[in-house]
Amino acid sequence: MMEFLDQLWSLNMDRETVFGLFQQSLVFIIGMTAILASLGVILCASPIYSALYLIGNMVCLALLFLLFNAEFLAVVQVVVYAGAVMILFLFIIALLGSKEEKRELSFQNFTALSFVGLLFCELLMSMMVGETKPVLGQATPEVVQQVGSAKAIGIELFSNHIVSFELASLLLLVAAVGIISLAKFTYKPLRKRTRT
Amino acid sequence: MGSEFVLFVSAAIFSIGALGFVIRKNPLVMFMSVELMLNAVNFLLIGYSSFLNSLDGQIFALIIMTVAAAEVVVGLAIILTIFRTRHELDVDRINTLKG
Repeated sequence: MMEFLDQLWSLNMDRETVFGLFQQSLVFIIGMTAILASLGVILCASPIYSALYLIGNMVCLALLFLLFNAEFLAVVQVVVYAGAVMILFLFIIALLGSKEEKRELSFQNFTALSFVGLLFCELLMSMMVGETKPVLGQATPEVVQQVGSAKAIGIELFSNHIVSFELASLLLLVAAVGIISLAKFTYKPLRKRTRT
Repeated sequence: MGSEFVLFVSAAIFSIGALGFVIRKNPLVMFMSVELMLNAVNFLLIGYSSFLNSLDGQIFALIIMTVAAAEVVVGLAIILTIFRTRHELDVDRINTLKG
């Protein structure tokens, strides 16, 4: 690593270029780690290992958000996803007991693999689209730096996107009422209900 | 390097999530695969909001996180209810509604 940096310095590159190269290699490494972790999620037999790999994947994605100038979203990703949602998953796994699933190579799995491979190739075709004329916004990193990432997002959320914000709060309310009614009133099969 | 790499990582994680949703039989792992797919889309939105100097992508990702949290909570409650009534968790054997 040090020799590599020395080589870079000896090429007489200025500080910005070296920093850009370092950032690009960091994005590459963390992106590859995220892909490997997501492979671990679907290939582990036991759900608890899948949950741990998913936490790793989310932390990698939070680091990538940091590298793409979205500090607030990175914090939200760690707190909400890797914290709250995954703790919920781990509680449910602990409650239901994790049974290892035996794996077999069936025809259905092969069909699914070929279908998803085709989907992946189609998604990669979006990389082959050439440069289009971008519609650039106002929020350059310098502008966002001045007010801070969380405040910039708050201003944007409460001015231009207030309707979607209110709808999201309504959605959370509906979800809370829904899970209370699902968890509190236990389901009885129909034959037991008609008997009494 | 740049937008192509963001597209590649996002497409890879999305396809892996789709594959996991189809081939796994445990509903918990299927939900984790859905989370993977949502995260891939979030990454794409945030990467492009950084390239285009716009905050709209980040707002969109924030709303997606809210929807994903609500969806996970409701889904896990449904899984818990299914486990209470049937005492097993295998999506191939939950076929009462199958015509």
